[in-house]
Formats: sequence, C-alpha cells, structure tokens
Amino acid sequence: MRANYQVNSGVRFQMLSDDQLQEIFESVLHVLEYTGLEVHHEESVSILKEAGAWVDGKRVRLPSHMVRRALELAPRSFTVYARDGNPEHDIHIGPGRSHFGPGPTCPNFIDVESLERRPYVKSDVPLVAKVVDALPNIDFCESLGTVNDVHHDLGATYEFAGMFPNTSKPIVAWSYDKYDSEEIHKIAVAEAGGQEAFELRPNYIHYCEPLSPLVSTQDALDKLIFAANHRVPLIFTPCPIAGGTAPITAAGIIIQAAAESWMGLTIAQTLQPGLPFFMGGVLSVMDMSNMILAYGAPELSLFMAGITELAHYVGLPLWQTGGCTDSKALDEQAAIEGSLSVYFSALTGGDLCHDVGYTESAMTGSVFQLAMMDEAIGYSRRITRGIEVNEETLAVDVIHNVGPNGHYLREQHTRDHYRSEFFYPNLCDRRNYEEWEMMGKQTMSDRVVSRVQDILATHEPSPIKPETEKAIEDVLAAAENRVKE
Amino acid sequence: MSETLSKLSTAIIEGNLEVMEGLTQQALEEGNEAQEVLNEGLMPGMDHVGVEFKAGNMFVPEVLRSARAMQASMTILRPILAESGVELAGKVLLGTVKGDLHDIGKNLVSMMCEGAGFEVKDLGKDVEPDTFVEEVKNFEPNVLGMSALLTTTMRAMEHTIKSLEEAGVRDQVKIIIGGAPVTQAFADQIGADGYASNAASAADLAKKLISG
Repeated sequence: MRANYQVNSGVRFQMLSDDQLQEIFESVLHVLEYTGLEVHHEESVSILKEAGAWVDGKRVRLPSHMVRRALELAPRSFTVYARDGNPEHDIHIGPGRSHFGPGPTCPNFIDVESLERRPYVKSDVPLVAKVVDALPNIDFCESLGTVNDVHHDLGATYEFAGMFPNTSKPIVAWSYDKYDSEEIHKIAVAEAGGQEAFELRPNYIHYCEPLSPLVSTQDALDKLIFAANHRVPLIFTPCPIAGGTAPITAAGIIIQAAAESWMGLTIAQTLQPGLPFFMGGVLSVMDMSNMILAYGAPELSLFMAGITELAHYVGLPLWQTGGCTDSKALDEQAAIEGSLSVYFSALTGGDLCHDVGYTESAMTGSVFQLAMMDEAIGYSRRITRGIEVNEETLAVDVIHNVGPNGHYLREQHTRDHYRSEFFYPNLCDRRNYEEWEMMGKQTMSDRVVSRVQDILATHEPSPIKPETEKAIEDVLAAAENRVKE
Repeated sequence: MSETLSKLSTAIIEGNLEVMEGLTQQALEEGNEAQEVLNEGLMPGMDHVGVEFKAGNMFVPEVLRSARAMQASMTILRPILAESGVELAGKVLLGTVKGDLHDIGKNLVSMMCEGAGFEVKDLGKDVEPDTFVEEVKNFEPNVLGMSALLTTTMRAMEHTIKSLEEAGVRDQVKIIIGGAPVTQAFADQIGADGYASNAASAADLAKKLISG
C-alpha cells in the first residue's frame, strides 16, 4: 500500500501551459462569436438559429455559451468496435490512448507488384485493408486512395464495400455526399445486425471535411447530419494551410481549425446530444517555394501537437496526423519524416492519427510507407509506454542474487519480463554483418516490400456475415442504378 | 515413438525443467535405451528450438531454459551412455582469455553448446594460457572455445595457442574463437580452426568441426 505517491504512466509530454491553452480556447470562442463562419446549408442554419445562433444570411456566429454547451455534451471516452467482435481490434478512445491508421483520397497508388506509381483503382482497396488488418500497430482503416475506375460518384461506396470484408479493424469512412454515406451505413448496419445494434456497438466512423478558411460546405454538413441522425461517430476535420488558407503562425492556424471544427460540433451536438465527435484535422504549412501543402514538415507535427492539447483541454478526442511524407520514394526522407511525425503524434496521445502511408504530399498512397511506419509506431509506442517503477521492476533482489561477475540470462526475472520490457522489431535489422551479408544485404526498403508481399500472400482477415455479403451486392447494384438516372 | 519420448521433446521445447528428471527416468524404465531417449526424445525438441530461434519465433531466455532442461536429462543419461561406450556429441571447453573480464558472450556460447548436447566446461574469465593447457589435458575436450572483447586482449588467443603447441596438445583439440573484434581473418592468422560471429553459430561450428 502506497500513500501520497505519484505515478507517471508513460512519457510525459506537454507543450502549452494551461494559461496558453486557456488563451487559445478563449480566442476560438471569440472567432466563433465575433467573426463567425459561412454555413452553406439551409437546414443547418435553421437548426443553429433555433438553438440561439446569430444568423445573417449564410454568416453564422455562435454565442460562446452554445459552443461551451456543445463541448460539454460531447464524450471524451467511448469505444468503436471491431465488426467481428474481436476485442483486440476494438478502439477505446480516451485519455492517454493513441491509435494509428492510413488516410483517404490519394489519386495515385504504388502498385504492390511493379512498385510503380499509377492511378488508384478498385482492386487496390482490398489489398490496403488486408495489410491494415495484418499490421500490429495499425488500428483503423482508410483506403489510401480515391477509386478511379468506377463511376465518379461511386468511388467512396466501392471503397467501403472493398475495405469492409477485408479488415475487422474499424473503418473511417470518407464519402462524397449523403447518398454514398447512406450506402456505406447500410453495409455497416447489416453486419451489426440492425440500426439499434449498431448504435450500441458502432463499427465505423464517419469523416467529413469543412473548407478553410471558415466555411461549412453543403456536402460536409449533409454528411454530418446523416451521421448525427444515425449516431455514427463523427470526424469533422478541416485542412487549413498556414500562410495560404490559415494564419501563418502556429497559434493562429490552431485557433482557426478549432473554430471550423466546433461549428460542426455545435450542429452535431444540437441534433444528437452525446454523439462521439473528433475535432480535426490536417494542419500544415504551404511550402513557400513549391506551393504544396507539406506533409513532412516539422510544423505539421508541431501544429498537430498544439491542437491535440487544445482538444484534450476542452475534453474532445482529436483526429491526429502523422506517418506521412513529401517524398516520392520509400527512401530516407520518407523514413525521417514519417517516423518523426509518428513519434511526436504518439507523445501527444492524439486519439486517431491518420494519413500513415501518405507519400508525395498526399498525392500517392503507399502500403509500403504504411508498413514501414508500423515499425516506427511500434518503436514509438515502446518509448511512450515509459518506465514502470515497482518492487518487481526495481529488481533490487535480482541484482543482489546475481551479484558482481554474474549474469542475468538465466534469471526467472529475465524470463518473466523479456517479452514485455523489450520492443522486438519486425523490419529493423539487428543481425551481425556476416548474417546480414548472408541474407543478401537487404535494405530497409527490401524488407518492407517482402513483408507487404508476404502479408498479401498469407493473411486471411476474418469474414463478414453472409447477410452482409448480400447487403454489399444490393448496395452496389442500387448505387449503379442511382448514377444511371 | 513412445509417448514418453514425445513428452520429453515437448518438455524441452517448453523448457519445462521440473518434469525432465521424472520423464527421463520413466523413459528408461519403459525400456528405452539411453541413446533412444537422447536421439528421439531430447534432440528433436532441441532441433525444433534451434529452428524456431533462427526464425525469430523463440528468444534467448526461452532457448536457455530449453538448454537447461536438456542438461537436466543429460545428467542422468551421460553416465549410462558413457558406460555403454556410446559416442556423445562431444566436450567443449570454454573461457575468456587472459586480461579480459567480459564474459556475457562466452556465457551465451556455453549455454548454446549445452543446448546442442555438448558436455561443457566453462573456465570463466581472465583465463591464463597455462590453465587452458592443463584443462585440455585433464578434461580432454573435442573443442576449445576462446573469447575476447578487446583488441588488446585478443592477442592472448594467439599466446594460448602457442602454449598448447609447446605443451604438445594443440592437435588434440579443435580451437574456435569469437568476440566483437575477432574476425575470420584473425582466426586464420593465429591458426585457429574456426571463427563464429555469434553464440548460436558457435555451437553449430563446434558440431561441424567434430563431425568433420
């Protein structure tokens, strides 16, 4: 029994002080109250007006009490469930828990056979989901691409239909509009066993994106309202670009992004109090020489850490970003940018870290980058897990028993803890030179490629129910009919 | 194969030290020859451990536990085998050379060799060339393994080989060396019979040298 004794579980990381966080928080409320946003959605405007917002045409300003109430209603902790009931694939959102997964909508993909860059196609979707399902440190699924070889309105529906049977890890579903949102939901509900069962154990998360600066678009709000009405956990994630569509300063972009997220939060909580809601998003810089949104910039990690601290300060989970790169190849730049952002994200405890596997500044999805980052996440998780201090780990008795000149290889204590104390790499090579030479002098990228190809050749995800297979067929047939008209 | 021998294999793989003595006795009482117990009970278990270790599915502490289980059984079998004149895997003499106090690598070699079925005598560290000579005469090992971590102490391997030559016992034993600064080129240069870059390959090398 201990008394008055403090334990740090994991590595402590805090960048902003409470005073700074409070100042940022008050500034977000100020922007929402005095500047407001454009809301391009009539139904949402009237919902907000009725709830007490100040409306002037499309311009909506939120009195701070409305935002504070919405923040109070949204939960900090909840669970998103594996579709097959595998508890290891459940995602428990809450303080000190970070999760990782890919991102959506890259136009291109690195072909898993030729390793060449080409447009993303429908048959890539199941491969990505399978790799996600197999990688131990990847927790949720997105597709890493926009399907190019189906009707241009049906990409998201085919994407979900391709992912769902190939991983039981929860999917973050991106969609174009309320129509494909509904199609996606039908598939998920079929597996859950009806809407009521889904509400008890939601098996996917819905993703919507407002526009920076300060616009809530028609499509984003259509999707938000659909998710809120059906109690689908929701991500509302802007993608402001510092110096372009947001202030160039870190504090400024964080404030604007939060204001954009909290407009969505306020609508969602008004419609469906207590709806699980993640604020976003992707905050990075516009590279002032190349005019791209940089995915490997150190500022991305810094901005994301800042907005994570703000989210946790107000009691919301955050849609983090990391594991991505501006590099076009599976090279040293990709490893540096991806690993550092993954590690920094893990330190913040940001709740769902997405875009793992993005290359070429989000233009090309790569399961190879994803697999390499799986290793970096494992590495980061071992560090952030920190040092446990108790009678067993202090090992004073073991030190005494072994004494000078002894060794610990045969100690029960070693056997009891060697699995949990150490991180065992899957990809990083620790062989001696002779063995490494004998194994063909493989580099990291060689090993990444073989691991991915090995997973694709051998991994069997758990199957979906027969009725869900039928539901997918029906949904796709109906969707094809929808776009014929 | 008898059920008891198969249980012995499993116990080796699991490193289940507690049951080794009982199972070994039981196997003998059931009428198995000591050599059958070794070849069909213990060795299949250790072979499996070796394969799994190389594949990265088992780790050092587990391998050592299996090796220890093997030794528990060998303590019973060895005298019987010796009596009936059966060729054993062989004897390995080990030590960290004079002037060097680093022995974790040599300890690993020792345990890996035990797991491979060798009878191992470990002289510890900072071992004088004369002590090696004495023990080669008395213990009559098939293989002598020397270890050094420092570039300054690896020369003592050469001195030890010279001492063995002077005492006229160099040819009675195969000499293998290892340690971070040691290389195949150095082994060739000082007239050792082999070099291994890690503990598991040291045990393999010892086996190869004896059978070859």
